[in-house]
Formats: sequence, C-alpha cells, structure tokens
Amino acid sequence: MKRRTVGRALAATLALALGVALGGCSSSAGGGGVVASGNYSGPAVTISFWNGWTGGSAPVLVPKLIGQFNDSHKNIKVKNVPQEWAAISAKMPLAIKAGKGPDVAVAHGDDIATYAAQGLLLKSDSIVKALGYSASDFPKGLLSAATYKGSQYAIPWSVTPLGLFINKDVLTAAGLDPNLVPTDQPSYMDALAKLKAAGVQGEWVDGFVFTGTFEFETLVWQFGGQLFNDDVSKATFNSEAGVKALTHMVDIVKQGYSPPNVAQDGNINALVGSKTAFNWNGVWQTTNSALDKVNWTAAAVPQIGPEKAVWSSSTDWIFPANKGQDKNKTSAAATFVKWMNDNSSGWAATGELPAKNSVRNDPQLLQDHPNLKPFLDQLPYAHYETVSPGITNAVATITTAVNEAVLLKKSPKQALDDGVAKANQLLKQNASQYGG
Amino acid sequence: MASTGLSLPPAPAGLRARGGGVRRRTGIAYVFLAPFLILFGIFVLWPAIYGVWISLHDWNPLVPLQPWVGLQNYVDLFTAGSVTSADFWLSMRATAIFTVASVPFLLVIPLLIAVLLNQRIRGGTVFRAIFFAPYVLGVAVLGVIWRYLLDPQLGVVNHVLGVLGLPSDIPWTVDVPWAWVSLVGVTVWWTLGFNTVILLAGLKGISADLYDAAAMDGAGSVRKFWSVTLPGLRPVMTFVTTITILASANMFGQAYLLTKGGPGHATRTAIMFIADEGLSQNQMGAAAAMSYVLFACLAIISIVNFRLQREKA
Repeated sequence: MKRRTVGRALAATLALALGVALGGCSSSAGGGGVVASGNYSGPAVTISFWNGWTGGSAPVLVPKLIGQFNDSHKNIKVKNVPQEWAAISAKMPLAIKAGKGPDVAVAHGDDIATYAAQGLLLKSDSIVKALGYSASDFPKGLLSAATYKGSQYAIPWSVTPLGLFINKDVLTAAGLDPNLVPTDQPSYMDALAKLKAAGVQGEWVDGFVFTGTFEFETLVWQFGGQLFNDDVSKATFNSEAGVKALTHMVDIVKQGYSPPNVAQDGNINALVGSKTAFNWNGVWQTTNSALDKVNWTAAAVPQIGPEKAVWSSSTDWIFPANKGQDKNKTSAAATFVKWMNDNSSGWAATGELPAKNSVRNDPQLLQDHPNLKPFLDQLPYAHYETVSPGITNAVATITTAVNEAVLLKKSPKQALDDGVAKANQLLKQNASQYGG
Repeated sequence: MASTGLSLPPAPAGLRARGGGVRRRTGIAYVFLAPFLILFGIFVLWPAIYGVWISLHDWNPLVPLQPWVGLQNYVDLFTAGSVTSADFWLSMRATAIFTVASVPFLLVIPLLIAVLLNQRIRGGTVFRAIFFAPYVLGVAVLGVIWRYLLDPQLGVVNHVLGVLGLPSDIPWTVDVPWAWVSLVGVTVWWTLGFNTVILLAGLKGISADLYDAAAMDGAGSVRKFWSVTLPGLRPVMTFVTTITILASANMFGQAYLLTKGGPGHATRTAIMFIADEGLSQNQMGAAAAMSYVLFACLAIISIVNFRLQREKA
C-alpha cells in the first residue's frame, strides 16, 4: 500500500517534472498533413510507429507485417514501438510537443478529438484523398467518426462491435434447442424465462465498463436515444430511451434472470463455466481460449428496442504533428498506413475486425474466422465512440449510473438523471478547457 | 556553521575553542547527506512546493494555457454542487471509513501475534515467516488472487460458506458493507506481517529484568502485559500507529483492483479520486488542491496522535 503510493507519487512527480521541462515549448498548431500519394518515392526515411498491441497474437503478427512492409519498401523503414495503451496516453502528448513523438500511431476512437483539440495531430483530409479513401471504403459512419470540427484527423484501422455469446451446453442442459438464437425482445425474454424455469440465470448483468456499459449504450440506441446531443454540449442518456434501456437491464436482475451483484468479468466467467447461457460481449472474446472448453456460438445482439443498433469501439491511424515534423516521414507513414489497411486480413486473428471493407468482404476472412460472421453482419448499424475532446470523463458517468441501477441502489431514472447532471458539468469543463 | 540551529549537543568549551573541527565535521555530515537531500529536494520538496502553484491554476497539462484561478480549486472543494466537491468528500468519507475500520485490526492483531511469537515457542521463526509472507506480494497479485476468491457468484469463499450451510451469495467485492469487510480483511492479511515484525523487535527490546521484577511482585501474565509490555512498547507503538494510519489513509490498490471503487463510488478512496482527476482526467489543478486538503487532514491526525501518545508517557 505504502510502496504503491510512493510509486504513484514518483510517477506523478516525474510527469509534473516533464511537464515543467516541456512547458517552455509552445504547442504546435497542428496543421494539415500533405501527402502526394499512397506510394512514397522520396529519400529513404525511418519512421517510428507507436501502438498498444502488446497482448494476444499481436506481438507475433505485427512484427511480421512490418517486416513484410520493410522488405517491399526499400526507402521506408518502420520502427515498431509497442507499449501499453496507458503508457501511450501518458507519454504521447508531451512527446509530440517536444518533437519526439511517433510519425504514425494507432489510437482509440474516443481519444482522437482530445488529441486533435490539443493540436497534436496533423489534419488528414489531404492524406485521405491521396490514399484514395472515401466513406464507402469503411463501415457506415466510421470515417466521419474520425473528424473533429469539420476536419479529418484519423484513418480507420479496426472495429470491435458487441455481440451475443451463447453457451449451447447450457441451453441443451436446460432442455432448450441448442441452436436457439434469440433475435428480438420477445424471443430473448422467452429464452430467459425458460432458462429460469430450468434453474439457470440466463444473462448475468453487470455494472462495469466491461460489459454492462456497452450493453446499456447499445440499448439506448436501439430505443432511439443518443448518449449526447449533436454538438456534445449536453448529455442525453437520461432520455426516455435511456430509461427504457436501463430498466430492461434492471428488470433482468429483478426478475431473477440474472443474479444480483455480479462482479467485474463475472458474466464471461459464468459463460465459460457453463453457469449462464448468454453474455453480451465484444468480438475480442472470439479469441478467448477459455471458451474452447464449451460449445459456444456468437450472434448479433438481440434487438430489444424498435431500432437495430450495436455498440462498437474503433481504433484509428493518426499522424502526429510533432514539433518540426518531417513531411517526408508523414508521407512515408501514409504509404505504410495504406499498405497495412490493404494487408489487414490477418488482423482478424486478434479478435478485431479490419476496418477496410474490401478486406472484410474477402470470403477468405470468414473461411479463416467463421466466428466473426455475426459481428461483420452488425456493422451496417454499429455506433462508434462519441467524438469530443476530453469525452472519456463524461462517458465514465454512464458507467456509474449503470452500476448504481444494476445494484438496485437507485432507480434507473434517478441513476441516469444523476449521471447526466454530472456529465453536463464535465462537458462544460471540457468545453472551456479545450475550447469545445 | 556550528550555529545553523541543528540540534547538535552544545559543544564542550574545549571543543568550541577549536571550532574548525566542528565545522569540518558538520560539513562532512552534509556531504554524506547530500545524495539523499538532492533526491529529496528534486522529487519531494520541489514538487510539493510546485504543487501549491499548480493548485492555484486551472491546470490541464495537455493544453497550452493554464489560467490562474487563485483559490478557486479550493473554494470548489468546499462549495456544494461544484464539479469536484461531492465526489471529493465522498472519497474522503471512504478513506475515513477504511482507516477507522482497518487501523484497530492492524494494531491489535499484529500485537497479539508478536506477543505469541515472543514466547519461546517451537517453530517461532517459521510462523514469523508465514505471517510476514503476504507482505512481499505486490498489490496487483493481491488483487488478482482475492478478486478470484471473493467473486460473489463464482468465488471460493462463497462456495465454502455455502458448503458450511451459511449464506453463499455475499457480494464481497460488489456491494457495501461487504466490500469494506473485504478491503479491510485483505489489507490486514496483506500487511499485518510488517507491523508484527516491528512490534516483535520492540518486544525483544524490553528488558527481561522488568518481567522478573513484576513476577516477584506477584504480577500474572495479564498484569505483566498491561504494566510492562505495553508501556515498554510505547515508542514503537507510536511509530507503528502513525505509519499504519498514514498507510490506510493512502489506500489505493486494493480498492482500485477489488471493487473498482464501487458500488457507485462508495469505495473510491481519496487517493483513487485524486489520481483519476489528475492523471486520467488531466485536472492537475483540482487534483493538487485535493492533495493539499488531504495532506492537511493527515497532518492534523498525525499531530493529534503524537500528542496523545506523548501525554500518556
């Protein structure tokens, strides 16, 4: 406890000291990246590439891809710099301001506006054009989700939608059809009722980011609501749609279809342990080897509300506006990004879906990874992260509301109203700090 | 240099005549202290002072401008309805609950164990090692182990309770008050070895003659504990009490890993909130102000603690 605190204090001190040291450097304006084409032909350059791909099959896959790229591009050498996502968030802004950041990096969708507002990123409208990309090259709404104040700031790389994971062994044991796939509200509630009659709590609802928050956001959209208003100046997840969404989740607990007080990851652990039949979880669970023990399948999330919708996160390529950024390096980075997107088929092995449509539509992808089909099918109606600087603090209030309601501490309406009140305060703070 | 106000004993007259020797010795002392003082200055003293400066600004390290706001960050903490006040005081309350609940156990249990280990029992060293062992675990390991053991539905603890015919659906990590029971229990299990070892060292320092004298006066073992052991341990006890209170008030990892601060934010401690506010949300100014309020509270408690123990002496 004490050692931990000392460690944090030191880390904070170092961060501050860095801040002080770099405080003198003025922030770069974050101009536009200008790239001639997707085939860099300038002098030989080495570009550094930061990413958070440290787990799963990525540490083997990424060096292989980069090796192939380097071999086929004599004038570009990409240096792979993998590190924890948290380390990237902590280091990258200061590094870019000091001119020591990467030439290209991968970031989560909800970080793009935060970086862009700080002038840390090159506008990538021209890069998108040079690479020949248009909105129709990616799932609906994904390319435009990477814009801030009318300018493009990133290029999509991968998406990770939610799905319904089903333990067929549990269905069989409860006397249900093992091939049952609930698709809408009546069939889903019917399955839960039958499972309860057989002594099985069919969906364990939790109040944590993974995955109660993802489920709630999916349901809000299904009921026709939005998390925030269009210019992200107000939170709107306490709308009628929000209340319906959260009431649905709380009712599952109240009716005994879920145990109360589910812990973090309790639901996926219960699915793996054949204690429950359904789990709303992300596509990344398709690579969870613990699931090999059971007979499982994945499906699209059931449509509980009147509209089709599903939560998805995304990762994107960004081009940092390092102090004194070398134009040739950015140009080479764009060539690298295009090549990676074109060759991203293997990325599905990490449990993420390549963003580029032509790659996903190649039949080979589903032959290699048949489990991904329901996730691919959902992309036409997927919703991505809210794009607004500093948005993660306001999104965190959603989790608090879901947590309090699912634990029956507050009514859904009350929990959401409290969350929205807090979120609105934070949005106001973000607007004043980042010039919203 | 001899007049720098350091609490050196007054030099005898003979030495004072040869003041140069004292000066040289003090100089050498500073040289030996220098490596630590430099690190202390850079990593503790300077940030502590600089933190005051930060707390007077709307300080987001990622944006170019850090506007001066005077005492606004402090005023916000004491203004109901501001962005920070409700969350901050909820986290202070969580810290207070944890400290009040954990410190007595962290003092009494190690004391009893130390007294037992101080008897010449067979295998005393082995037991000492066993009690100390959890302390060497990192908090991350601790979090993983106990989250697994304490899972409300799938955990070993509830399973065992169920086998024994006791309630098997206790939300150990998810709902209060059980989350507090878990956090205190895990912390006691984790750190009691440290306090035990220090108290044991204190016990060894109490002269056996005192016990013999007490025995001769007809004192039984209980009387000996109250009249010889406890008074003899007082200096050590003051130290252990102080560091235990401070350590409990700085609790972070256990709640961060076991309960995620939930339900809602009920078990989010002050340090957790400050770290989130400053390092995740980049509100360094507000976080710095909170740190100083927390610091003031802990300073007052430490002073009161020292006063109380001194008056008893």
